[in-house]
Amino acid sequence: MKIKTELIKFDQGLDLESGERLDTFDLMVETYGQLNTDKDNGILICHAFSGNHHAAGKTADSAVLGWWDEIIGPGKAIDTDIFFVVCSNNLGGCSGSSGPLSTNPETGESYGKDFPSVSVTDWVNSQKLLTDHLGISKWHMVVGGSLGGMQALQWSISYPKKVKKAGIFATATKSSTQNIAMNEVGREAIRKDKNFMGGDYLKHSVKPKNGLKAARMLGHITYSSEEIMDQKFGRKFQDIKSKIEGTVDYEVENYLQYKGEKFSDTFDANSYILMTKAMDGYDASYSSNGSLENVMKKIQAKLLVVGFDSDWLYPPKRSKEIQLAAMNVDIECSCVILKGDQGHDSFLFASERFVNIIKGFLKSK
Amino acid sequence: MKTSLTHIIKAWVPEKSKVIDFGCGDGSLLKDLIDQKNIRGYGVEIDHNKIQDCIDKGISVVEKDIDEGIQDFETCNFDVAIMASSIQCLKEPHLALRKMLNLSKQCIVTLPNLGFWKCRLDLVQGRMPVTPNLPSSWYETKNLHLCTIKDFETLCVEEGFVINEKLFLNDKGVKSAAASTFPNTFASEGVYLLAKK
Repeated sequence: MKIKTELIKFDQGLDLESGERLDTFDLMVETYGQLNTDKDNGILICHAFSGNHHAAGKTADSAVLGWWDEIIGPGKAIDTDIFFVVCSNNLGGCSGSSGPLSTNPETGESYGKDFPSVSVTDWVNSQKLLTDHLGISKWHMVVGGSLGGMQALQWSISYPKKVKKAGIFATATKSSTQNIAMNEVGREAIRKDKNFMGGDYLKHSVKPKNGLKAARMLGHITYSSEEIMDQKFGRKFQDIKSKIEGTVDYEVENYLQYKGEKFSDTFDANSYILMTKAMDGYDASYSSNGSLENVMKKIQAKLLVVGFDSDWLYPPKRSKEIQLAAMNVDIECSCVILKGDQGHDSFLFASERFVNIIKGFLKSK
Repeated sequence: MKTSLTHIIKAWVPEKSKVIDFGCGDGSLLKDLIDQKNIRGYGVEIDHNKIQDCIDKGISVVEKDIDEGIQDFETCNFDVAIMASSIQCLKEPHLALRKMLNLSKQCIVTLPNLGFWKCRLDLVQGRMPVTPNLPSSWYETKNLHLCTIKDFETLCVEEGFVINEKLFLNDKGVKSAAASTFPNTFASEGVYLLAKK
């Protein structure tokens, strides 16, 4: 598989939904496979909250497999022998695209907490500029799960002529009250870390690692499910030799400690706040005073909506809402609810039915 | 689905109408209607393999158990709702019909006729009927509420459903004089176009 990772500069800048403006911005972009001469085999991958541009394979920069490697690759559900697959790190992220870690041209220092608020629509608008840059006039598919699914939906609404098909997985047209509540607990843990320093931690060369870790541990509970945690860990005690923290009794605690620790090493706290705020703030119907039907009327893409039965963060009923709104306004839309072994995270894994459905959807007219 | 039945259904579906097919199977009927009558079509199906067939064909399909979910679509303003050969498998067929007519101007229903003479003959001989239209043994059948043509039309009167069109097929799946003249005895299958009063 041909992989290319590239930082692309956009000198035309971007007007943000908040009213603020980025005079220039960068996107870290990774591509897989080859764009054909008609430039009609492009698939845009939108990443979820903590994902980034590295969606598949291994690269010189990353020895770790991309976050959607189960789905993207030669012969896989999104076949890189057929399609030219593109994934960019969202604005405000911390994997190379402009974000809190980048230098603010006005001050010459890192933006930190002063990086402007970004929204799902801003991400889509920035990806539209990337689309133009690549010379692609219409994506064969725009696809993503969770926060990435929101972007795929918004793409179909914002740029109806530029999306042939949209894969909208494990997501909703807006975050629920409970989603916002969970995110706020995470943000509070970060803000109350003594190293957060009101968001100015970079200036003091420290990191609010404890807060980030606690936020991520809570996150992992929401990405899983009660049943899955029972199956995976039960009430098994953690082996003494491999305890990460002395306070750990059970395996599940050790697992969360491990995941939280790893995440807090690599993720930026201001990005965390920015990204979760974007997720909370998304409401596809916002521009039409709450009428989802009114905004969805514009869609010309064919939609594939997939929910997973064990997902309690964006449960199946949220997928069904998208399908029903589409049906109300005569948009072509299929909706399937798959058995997911991994809760909300199920969309990351190549279960047999999921793969067949994506392949069928991509091949169909 | 048999050719003759497909032809009848196609003839009753207006051009460019919005159609929902409950128990749409592999989506062939909807595919034909999209290709030939330019409809906007949606299928509802529970069987995983059939759902895959629909997606492969590019047919919009929703995974749902019809027994539970017909009313979910009542805001969608359909022109035609189709339920071919599955009404008798539902837990509450009369309520399903009411719900279908709540979400659609008209509905097309097909049902096997338990009054068909071969069924009667089986019963007279003391056996549960097994015919081309009712192929399964009593212990395997998914049919919960079998009825005769007379029973069904009585229900339509009681429920206030208007029968706009009806056609009867013999056990070869084609129209015949006998089936049309004495449907309760000679029709193996009834096909109805219903509307609300």
